[in-house]
Amino acid sequence: MSAHEGKVHIVDDDDAVRKSLQLLFKTVDIEATAYESGDMFLEQFDDAVEGCVLLDIRMPGMSGLEVQKQLQDRGNSMPIIFITGHGDVPMAVEAMQSGAFDFIQKPFRDQDLMDRVSQALSQSEEQREASEQKEEVGQRYESLTPREKEVMGCVVKGQANKVIAMDRDVSQRTVEIHRARVMEKMQARSLADLVRMSIQIEL
Amino acid sequence: MENAETNKAMPPAVNLGPVLDAMLESMIVIDGKGIISQANKATTTMFGYSRYELVGANIRMLMSGADKARHDKYLKRYEKTREKRIIGIGREVVGARKDGSTFPADIAVGEIKTGDQVQYVGLVRDLSEQRRTEEEALKQREEMVNVSRLSTMGEMAAAMAHELNQPLTAIANFAAASERLLEADAEGNLTIIREALQDIQEQAHRAGEVIRRTRTFTHSGDTEKQVTTLAAVFEQIGSLAKLDNKANNIKLAVHLPEDLPEIEVDPVQIQQVMLNLIRNAVDAMSDTQPSDRQISIRAKITAPHELRFEVRDHGSGIKAEEAKSIFNAFFTTKNSGMGMGLAICRTIIRKHGGELGFRHNDSQKPESGTTFFFTLPTKVGG
Repeated sequence: MSAHEGKVHIVDDDDAVRKSLQLLFKTVDIEATAYESGDMFLEQFDDAVEGCVLLDIRMPGMSGLEVQKQLQDRGNSMPIIFITGHGDVPMAVEAMQSGAFDFIQKPFRDQDLMDRVSQALSQSEEQREASEQKEEVGQRYESLTPREKEVMGCVVKGQANKVIAMDRDVSQRTVEIHRARVMEKMQARSLADLVRMSIQIEL
Repeated sequence: MENAETNKAMPPAVNLGPVLDAMLESMIVIDGKGIISQANKATTTMFGYSRYELVGANIRMLMSGADKARHDKYLKRYEKTREKRIIGIGREVVGARKDGSTFPADIAVGEIKTGDQVQYVGLVRDLSEQRRTEEEALKQREEMVNVSRLSTMGEMAAAMAHELNQPLTAIANFAAASERLLEADAEGNLTIIREALQDIQEQAHRAGEVIRRTRTFTHSGDTEKQVTTLAAVFEQIGSLAKLDNKANNIKLAVHLPEDLPEIEVDPVQIQQVMLNLIRNAVDAMSDTQPSDRQISIRAKITAPHELRFEVRDHGSGIKAEEAKSIFNAFFTTKNSGMGMGLAICRTIIRKHGGELGFRHNDSQKPESGTTFFFTLPTKVGG
């Protein structure tokens, strides 16, 4: 069933729960690694590896909420699914407000868990694609000359060629040439596409 | 300094009148017959009489109950026997104000002899405020007991749920994984499934262990049934019940014959039922006139092998439409309460082979109060 490249990080202090979750993910061909504490997880896992975290909210030592905070502090935006127990709703709410992907209450149906994990891994993939794309667009932007960057800034603000030309005391024809170069270098198919890219690189 | 030296040699005459009037305690001087000769200002504010009314009157006027009736006798007896029962000792009495109300007071009495004449001086301190504070403190303590009992129950339920969720989660996962493995029907899967089944068994036992441990905790280690008597079971909670009743200004009459047949019960559980019924009775009388607030606790033999324990109140009674639901869980007429009390009590009593019920004190007038009772079988072959 798995079409995911990502990996599931299981963080739970209960041996049986960990073991059973690993077996469950094995049956659906999702790669899963288990950690028995938040400390061990933060120490051992590789930020570069794409995936999601299945995080027990109530653990001795570092709590799930603390693990979430430390992940965020080190700039990791991997989606987190919290596993909560009876009466943990206030904590779950806090986790969601802090940007958790979802939470699931113990004991859960395997399909519910799989659906959430699957969604989380998809989001993780999308995030990676988006960041790759952002990087590429940024590189294209850097290849523009200063004058081209200036024209691009005016164009995405919706200024007409005539206005841009008058403001800079150049001919309209010159602006048209710059504009065409910008579209070509940025590989933009349309003005809308160019605007989207400018938003992506937070111009 | 020189002045001080000279002053020391000549002490000034002291007029104690203003000093006595500045006192917060009432000070009263009576003669050998009990007639008031002097009273300070605090006496007038404490009892509500003017000094004109006080001086010349018999001190009995300021007393109530047995003391009022017997005070003349007290004086005569002392004159004859010189046996000091209050002089130099002091005690707590009930004072009577002019308007007929009474208040708790602490008195100290001294004797003044001038020649042949005997006089007594009494210092009276109003204890009303102190009493009120004490009762308030008692009430708060009782509320704490109640709250802690409830929160203990809540905490226990939460802790148990959390502990049970771990093995249940593992079982659900192992079972789901096994099902998927069976569907996949790949080689080697059977070995994994067999191991998962073992894990499932282990986790089921773990869940059972959680329940067993929690049960032990609930019973505070005292789960064994014991051969005992109703009086002995009640004795351990008697002081708590009395405290509770005192704080609520309720008279508690206990009549538990010591010679009733023995019973075989879990004392802690039966005590829980007794306390619950008494607490309910107390709560039912919150709107009853103070003079009518009384709880009677009784036990008797009602059938050849059956005892009956009763708690009778003079409370607001149980309305016909409530009567059907009062033993249901989560039903309550109280502002604060979970509605678990009677439901749990009935379960406990039935487990002991008895029955829990109630009747109106007066079947024509349900509002005249209620009697709750439970029955218990006497010890078999005892």
